[in-house]
Amino acid sequence: MSNGILTSRLMEERKQWRKDHPYGFYARPQKNDDGTLNICIWNVGIPGIKGTPWENGIYKLSMLFPQEYPAKPPKCKFTPPLFHPNVYPSGTVCLSILNEEEGWKPGITIKQIVLGIQQLLNEPNPQSPAQAEAYELFRRDKVAYEQRVRQQARENAMT
Amino acid sequence: MTRTLYAETVLGQSLFQKISNCRVLMIGAGGIGCELLKNLAMSGFRQIELVDLDTIDISNLNRQFLFQKQHIRKSKAEVARESALKFNPNINIIAHHANIKNPRFNVEWFKSFDIVMNALDNLDARRHVNMMCLVANVPLIESGTEGYLGQVTVIKKDETECYDCQPKPVRKTYPVCTIRSTPSQPIHCIVWAKSYLFSQLFGLPDEEDDERLEAEMTQENVNEIENLKKETQALKQIREAMGTADYPQKVFRKVFTDDIKRLLSMEDMWQNRRNPPVPLIYEDIEKLVTEGNSQLNYTENSNTLKDQRVWSLAENFVVFLDSVRRLSEKLIKQKTNNPDASLSFDKDDPDALDFVTATSNLRSIIFGIEVKSQFKVKEMAGNIIPAIATTNAIIAGMIVMQSFKVLNEKLNECKTIFLDGSRRPQIFLSESLNPPNPECRICNNTHIILKINTKKATLRDFLDKVIHGRDEDDIGEVIVEEGGRIIYDVEYDDNLDATFEQLQITDGKLVSVKPDDDTEEQNSSIFAISHREFEKPNTWFQVDGKPFAARNKIPVAKSSDNSTSSTHKRKLEESELDTFEGSSRKRPATNEEILVDDDDTIVTESGTQKLIVID
Repeated sequence: MSNGILTSRLMEERKQWRKDHPYGFYARPQKNDDGTLNICIWNVGIPGIKGTPWENGIYKLSMLFPQEYPAKPPKCKFTPPLFHPNVYPSGTVCLSILNEEEGWKPGITIKQIVLGIQQLLNEPNPQSPAQAEAYELFRRDKVAYEQRVRQQARENAMT
Repeated sequence: MTRTLYAETVLGQSLFQKISNCRVLMIGAGGIGCELLKNLAMSGFRQIELVDLDTIDISNLNRQFLFQKQHIRKSKAEVARESALKFNPNINIIAHHANIKNPRFNVEWFKSFDIVMNALDNLDARRHVNMMCLVANVPLIESGTEGYLGQVTVIKKDETECYDCQPKPVRKTYPVCTIRSTPSQPIHCIVWAKSYLFSQLFGLPDEEDDERLEAEMTQENVNEIENLKKETQALKQIREAMGTADYPQKVFRKVFTDDIKRLLSMEDMWQNRRNPPVPLIYEDIEKLVTEGNSQLNYTENSNTLKDQRVWSLAENFVVFLDSVRRLSEKLIKQKTNNPDASLSFDKDDPDALDFVTATSNLRSIIFGIEVKSQFKVKEMAGNIIPAIATTNAIIAGMIVMQSFKVLNEKLNECKTIFLDGSRRPQIFLSESLNPPNPECRICNNTHIILKINTKKATLRDFLDKVIHGRDEDDIGEVIVEEGGRIIYDVEYDDNLDATFEQLQITDGKLVSVKPDDDTEEQNSSIFAISHREFEKPNTWFQVDGKPFAARNKIPVAKSSDNSTSSTHKRKLEESELDTFEGSSRKRPATNEEILVDDDDTIVTESGTQKLIVID
């Protein structure tokens, strides 16, 4: 048996997501080999906000819920890793609400997390860079940075 | 005069009878468990089952007094049984050398006990036993110690808080950002040394590690993240040099010089922080060492206090290089037998501990953080919690005292007891038991034993016959979950025709069924699966209990008065308030708590004079 608090919370999250989720997003537990769904790993799609260089892209993310969830935040990881100043080379997102020492609270829902990450796409936080490449370009050459982001949006275009 | 005469006299005939007739299950035969088994054996308990998965280690012997040197590596449960039977041969002890989470310890087995006592050391097993005791409806005495602190409490379904009613503090982990880029405390550097660099250099390539996965990502996504490629490549190259004479030096230059320089190049990161890191220069420290630093007597110093002294920069430097060399040799040797060999951090391995001490200290020096002694690093890296025999003994005594009240059916007299041995003269603090937390997602559920032929019954059968098969107030759509797996919900019906066995929902498993309607209702039904082959043809189920019986009813217990246990408490919701509109009686304030009695009368908690009858 796995942790009952974790599963009952995630079942509730799934129920709530189905009833109400933001337009253009998806979020669903990953399928296990045995035909059931793994409640601790969710596959998420985050659309870029219209009117930003991120638009028309949908960025794939894995949400990994640790055994201590919701006392601890899920690990959110872009797969493949994203070109973004606050995304680690491994794809892990560096965001205050996903940091248990900073903004994480057990009450934060999956919906709030994905909206927070969507917001972060076009509003990077230069105070906590996570990869050199995107960070350097963002700081030195906004035009080139934006071009690169648009290119990435095309590569991740919604189908 | 029999050996039980004193116990009989002190406890009284009636309680003593109950004690000698009751079946007690104790889980854990470690620090608390040894003391507890001794207490049980000496106070008249005669039917004891004991479960522990562990074997005896030399470090247990100072306090787990049922074990001796010749028992090392033997089963704790079995040796504890033998030792206890030596001083009281007239009792019956059954020992299980097994994990309590094993499905053979199913709900029916739990049900066969009058009382369960936890003497566990981990959250996971405690949660499991809590759940099993709720489903089996057996009282549980929960306990724990840490250093001079200890705690005992009593858990009874529907009457007290369960183990999970209050959130548990979680062991701290540290965000990737802090560990990789901006450490500010010694522990950050220790975690980096132990979890990141150690496994990076000597660990398994597919171990759960953030940056380790980069290698795979690059292959899938060659054009992306040039930087990432560079980094993995650099690390790979360095790892390939393992065993060569300059391998330790290469690692040093990479992690203490080059990587730090790259971090520094992210200027914004250091604008709002006190100390930007200072890269270490290999040649400079080497010079320090060769010039004969007088403090540098690491290798020949056999002084026992060596590990309690804080090392100098030069010492850390030498130990780092030397430990990398030693660990590399060890790994290469292992690889001759097994090409996939890898090392994992073990606080009791001197090479690994030297590596983590020196590595974390060098990193601390770079970031201007306090440097720690090896003794301290061992404690922090190994998560060592001091165990004190006296604390365990006191707590084990308290467990037995509480069990007397439970067996006497005086749950209202049970207490949560906190022990703080450093808080003299009053080392105990006791509190009345709290009623269940209505928000609890664990105990605020209906618990049912489902006898089922898991080979024949399909998920569809279960949903049709057990969940929806009842005519009154059908539950509507549900989510079915087992062991962190979603088996079924309204969007996912792939498994309808699979049998329980095919879905690996077998004897001893717990299946949770949650209504999937629009209410904010949290209540689930937990089905304990008990495999049965029925004689009656085409019979695949037998349900003991009514699913969702507790819907909308949250039980409350008052520790002072057990007669209220059939009264249910809930917050009055807006929609329900409307039904009072026509009443001439005074409408209760919105936030007032209302008790809903079984016979449908509503009583406000503040007074009995305002009796309102629905319908």
